[in-house]
Amino acid sequence: MKSSRMSRRSLVSGLFALAAMVAAAGAPAQADKPLRIGFSMARTGMLANATPSQLNTYELWKEQVNARGGMNVGGVKRKVEFVIYDDQSKPEQAVRIYEKLITDDKVDLLLAPWGTPFHIAIAPVVEKYKFPLVGNTAASVSLREVKPGYIWFTTSAIPDRIGVELTAFLKAQGVKSVVVLANVLPFTKEIKNFLEPELKKAGIDIKLSSEYPPDIKDMTAMLTQAKQANVDAVLALAYPGDSVLYAKQAKELGVNSPFQFIAIGPSDAFFPKAVGAASAEGVVTIAHWAPRPEWKGSQAFYDAYVKKFGEDPDFLNSALAWMSLEILEAAVAKNGLNKEKIRAMISTETFETINGKVKFNGVQNVITPTAFVQYQKGRLQIVWPASIATGRYEPKKGW
Amino acid sequence: MIDTLLSGQLLFSALVTGSLYALTALGLNLVYGTMRVLNVAHGDLVMLGAYAAFWAFTLWGISPLLAAPAVALIGAALGYAVYRGIFQRLLAAGAGHAGRIEGNSLLLFFGLSIIVQNAVALAFTPNNRAYAYLDEVVRIGSLSMTGNRIAALAIAGTTCIAVALFLRRSVIGLAMRAVIERREAAYVVGVDVDLVQLASFAIGFASAALAGVLMSMLEQFSPFSGFPFTIAGFIVIILGGLGNVMAGLLAALVLGVIETYGVALTSANLRSVLLYGCFVGALLLFPNGLFARRSVRA
Repeated sequence: MKSSRMSRRSLVSGLFALAAMVAAAGAPAQADKPLRIGFSMARTGMLANATPSQLNTYELWKEQVNARGGMNVGGVKRKVEFVIYDDQSKPEQAVRIYEKLITDDKVDLLLAPWGTPFHIAIAPVVEKYKFPLVGNTAASVSLREVKPGYIWFTTSAIPDRIGVELTAFLKAQGVKSVVVLANVLPFTKEIKNFLEPELKKAGIDIKLSSEYPPDIKDMTAMLTQAKQANVDAVLALAYPGDSVLYAKQAKELGVNSPFQFIAIGPSDAFFPKAVGAASAEGVVTIAHWAPRPEWKGSQAFYDAYVKKFGEDPDFLNSALAWMSLEILEAAVAKNGLNKEKIRAMISTETFETINGKVKFNGVQNVITPTAFVQYQKGRLQIVWPASIATGRYEPKKGW
Repeated sequence: MIDTLLSGQLLFSALVTGSLYALTALGLNLVYGTMRVLNVAHGDLVMLGAYAAFWAFTLWGISPLLAAPAVALIGAALGYAVYRGIFQRLLAAGAGHAGRIEGNSLLLFFGLSIIVQNAVALAFTPNNRAYAYLDEVVRIGSLSMTGNRIAALAIAGTTCIAVALFLRRSVIGLAMRAVIERREAAYVVGVDVDLVQLASFAIGFASAALAGVLMSMLEQFSPFSGFPFTIAGFIVIILGGLGNVMAGLLAALVLGVIETYGVALTSANLRSVLLYGCFVGALLLFPNGLFARRSVRA
């Protein structure tokens, strides 16, 4: 039994080697068989619509790396191939997949799945097998409770810091009164819980605070009240699904507060297409990246993404995915596939990424500031904080 | 608060929501009524209609209002193909075993639903899709309405009324009602049951596709956003009375009113509690549907 399994495996690896040779025909000879990198992604199910910007980024990276002759593995270039499974939008499925990727597929490296619950679900798996994984599209204060070691979280969009920074941003714009509308899903609910005490501390009047369910179909009642409150800022703590509903109905009802914040959704290219460029103009959202001369490679990443996919990358999720790849690439270039050395390097060193320097303390990125972006002339610009701003905040002039 | 309730703005919203529910539920109810078969892939037809309108608009700049009749026709053709290609065989295989047909058809539609969702995801990626069309705001007094919502209300409303008239006035419509109310009796007096079933499939699929076109102007969608429409359709037809098409239309409006006014009076967070609460309450008090005619069930 064992021998037949072994021979099948050697046959399979032989085929891979053959495939690599065929792929490399005409190019300089490859030093080794392809590097297999595995991950799970919600390709089907209720979250599938949120994942393409991350998967696209992975694919773009693979294409570029292979065009350069392969990924630098401790000085040896190896072509990259992906082992992808669909987790059907179920975190428990992702757990099984990462176990399988490590023990059965025996992949060389791992990339992150999409979303906070998935990152938290697979953290014990990578810990158990001591397999380093650089996370990307996860943001929650509960990430800090994940045992530090083999997983790191690149984002700075953590709800408690969003609460502090958004309040400072509002105060700097002279905002005195706000309406808070929050989707009850975990991320936005968490933001609300940290934001409202900060607003009160800063003396900003919360004229109306309302929660709504993710399957909301009509916001007329809530937005009529928001309009009557006549505030300086509407803070719509929305998810991608309802961000469009909010924008469309705010336009219909004329909710024209000059500061319009929509938490998640507008950083993705679908948003201006869905609501129209004129309506998207001036909307503020969460992201800590934009092409910036100081951030090496940021413009090149933007251009390459637009060229390949014909639309803007998601300024939050695509950028995070790319950062995690850059960090992994740097660690593997230096340490080859030695997982302990990779872990040690990611845990201690500072990395250059398209989002500037990144350094982890425990599981968390401690350098990248929490930031906000705004649609200006159809492009997202960082408008807060001033230290990394690419544009100046402009009040929104209607929808 | 009272101003909001009386402003007309909520009434408009309730009508838009209700009319889309009505159009979605209409097709589901026709197919159920004539064949006692629950189409759990109904919401996916709505999703397909939305994609058709989306591509027509983004690739060729065709207005969804112009595309709507064409998409509805394609929907009807699809209904025809599914009935002739798959369903007739199922009916023949299960002849005389109503229970088996119901069970098999549930599995069949469930399978179709999964195939359609994943085929669309494969072909068009699971990206969110939406477009901005007719989104100028029309103001009448204190009432402000977006053009696309007015259009959706007008088209969904007109279609529902047209189908209602068709069921009351035309020969096939009357035959459909006959099959819905007394299947065996209709058969005995010479109603072409096969033709009636085919017509209900075609109209059912067409109205779902049309609902998809209208929905695509208002919300964003992905290959997996059909299911909530199936659920909404189920609630409406169970509230109204299974197979009772006219009552379904009224039930859809009731649901729209609950959804808008109920939320305005309480909290948006209670939306599901209100919807399902009314649903369960109605089932307990009126097990045959809110508007069941006693003579039919006697």
